[in-house]
Amino acid sequence: MSATAYERTDGSSQPPADHHPIGISTGVFPNLRDDWPALVDEAAAVSTFAVELSALSSEELPGLLAYLRTDPAVAFRYVSVHAPAKNRGSNEVENVRQLDEIPLWVRSIVTHPDVFSDLDPYRALGTRLVLENMDSRKDDGRTVDEMDRFFDALPAAGLCLDVAHAHSIDPSMGLAHALLDRFRSRLRHVHLSSLSDGHHVTLSDEDEAGFAEVLDRCGDVPWILEATPPERWTRQLKASRLVASGASALLG
Amino acid sequence: MPDRGVAGLAELTGATFQHIMAARAETERKLVELRDRISTLAVDEEATVVLMGSWGRREITSESDDDFMVVFEGAARADAHPSVEEVSEALGGRPPGREEIFGQPVLLADLREKIGRDADTNANLTRRMLLMLESVAVCGEEVHARARSGLIAGYLDANVKEYRPPRFLLNDLVRYWRTIAVDFESKMRERESEGWGLRNAKLRLSRKALFAGGLLPVLSCYRHPVDGMQAYLEERMSIPPLDRIADTFVEHGALDPAVRMLTAYDEFLAILDDGDKRAELSQLKLAQARESRLFRRIAELGKEFEAGLLTLLFDDPQLRRWVRDYLVF
Repeated sequence: MSATAYERTDGSSQPPADHHPIGISTGVFPNLRDDWPALVDEAAAVSTFAVELSALSSEELPGLLAYLRTDPAVAFRYVSVHAPAKNRGSNEVENVRQLDEIPLWVRSIVTHPDVFSDLDPYRALGTRLVLENMDSRKDDGRTVDEMDRFFDALPAAGLCLDVAHAHSIDPSMGLAHALLDRFRSRLRHVHLSSLSDGHHVTLSDEDEAGFAEVLDRCGDVPWILEATPPERWTRQLKASRLVASGASALLG
Repeated sequence: MPDRGVAGLAELTGATFQHIMAARAETERKLVELRDRISTLAVDEEATVVLMGSWGRREITSESDDDFMVVFEGAARADAHPSVEEVSEALGGRPPGREEIFGQPVLLADLREKIGRDADTNANLTRRMLLMLESVAVCGEEVHARARSGLIAGYLDANVKEYRPPRFLLNDLVRYWRTIAVDFESKMRERESEGWGLRNAKLRLSRKALFAGGLLPVLSCYRHPVDGMQAYLEERMSIPPLDRIADTFVEHGALDPAVRMLTAYDEFLAILDDGDKRAELSQLKLAQARESRLFRRIAELGKEFEAGLLTLLFDDPQLRRWVRDYLVF
């Protein structure tokens, strides 16, 4: 038996669309940007198990905080916030102060480690802080050694494994496995999509097959889709919507 | 031969479960002390004194209770030794818990023969399950081993089928877990949420470990012929529940979720061993839980622990068949 891979006892692999729990990032719906109730409705139309509320640009964060302060009734069992990675202020203490306003029922605050100018303030976020591995276009936070440095400084932080980012650096998926080997106990959730010109796009057939072995090792954590789900997943995702959404159904 | 259980998982993956391993070492050290103290007592040949709870799970922390039972083979008699009072004094004098599970001598015959219906009181069910699932003897080790063996045999003497989970045992185990969960709510209503935080934390983690540590071996009986189940279950129940859980994950190749769930449990033990945090949990009531960072953390650890178990039970192609066919009806 391999000491690193999750090899199922009969050698089979569960189809990714059957994963439980699954969810989507609100960043997938740019037309609804800043309309948080509508974004949450759209996300709930995909799955009511998990969601990532994406404030990838700093301008989005105040509106998200205001929305969260209303203590909205959301259906999700797992809620994460993607912290700003663009147009950030240079004062990390102030950046962290804002992130610490996110209510405690939000489990994870996902960050891009390559944008940090000072790591120390981020310790205040404790176990809610989650570091995402970066793609090939970035200068840091990509490899095991680079991530190791961040986790050394932020020992309570979790890992968000962005499978497509790891694939962009090592299409053999060796890096994704190495990240799991090294940081498996920290894995909090997975980002799932394909990449095209650096942008997250719907998971291709080819990537779905290529990612399967890595995803098999992540069966106990939420998977967050960073692009619209493949049409071939429609049947399975309907089963992930336990609560009727008021928004137009993404999947029909 | 490489280690199995939690230590084996650590060796396979490079993970460290420092609080679990430290608690085990502390349990073993203190067991030597307690066995020494008990050795001064007169103990009948048909008697055993067993410690339950965190002692049985080999994970005592600084504030663990000394819940014990004095179990006797044969019929009740007035001059039986040791008495509950003698044992209590030898162990340090702390009174048994208020549910009176542990406050009186226990006859093995009651545990083995009164299964189900009115005679099987809540206390009797609890004693039987704790003896089987998480107990360690401080004297009368042979009686303890015979008692556990006898309980398992009693369940297997019930139309068990080849290579199938034994339903009688499985049903009683599930009944016990559901009883724990229902009684938690009942106790909290009666006590107006006194001790809610700590009890809730234990329900999410250590009680769940107790249940899963029984459930996984019982489900795994699908790998055994009828005449092999007794020996298999005796061996499994003789090791701590977390070891049974870890072994099942390793057997099914689910190393990654196993590491994550045991890492969560490791942090839970660290919290229980921290006097300030334990006190905070003990005083926490339901109405305060939402704003408690500590309780939020406990809830997260509980979810991570549960998520590992659920992916094993529902995503492993072999186990999920047995879960589907045996765990609902």
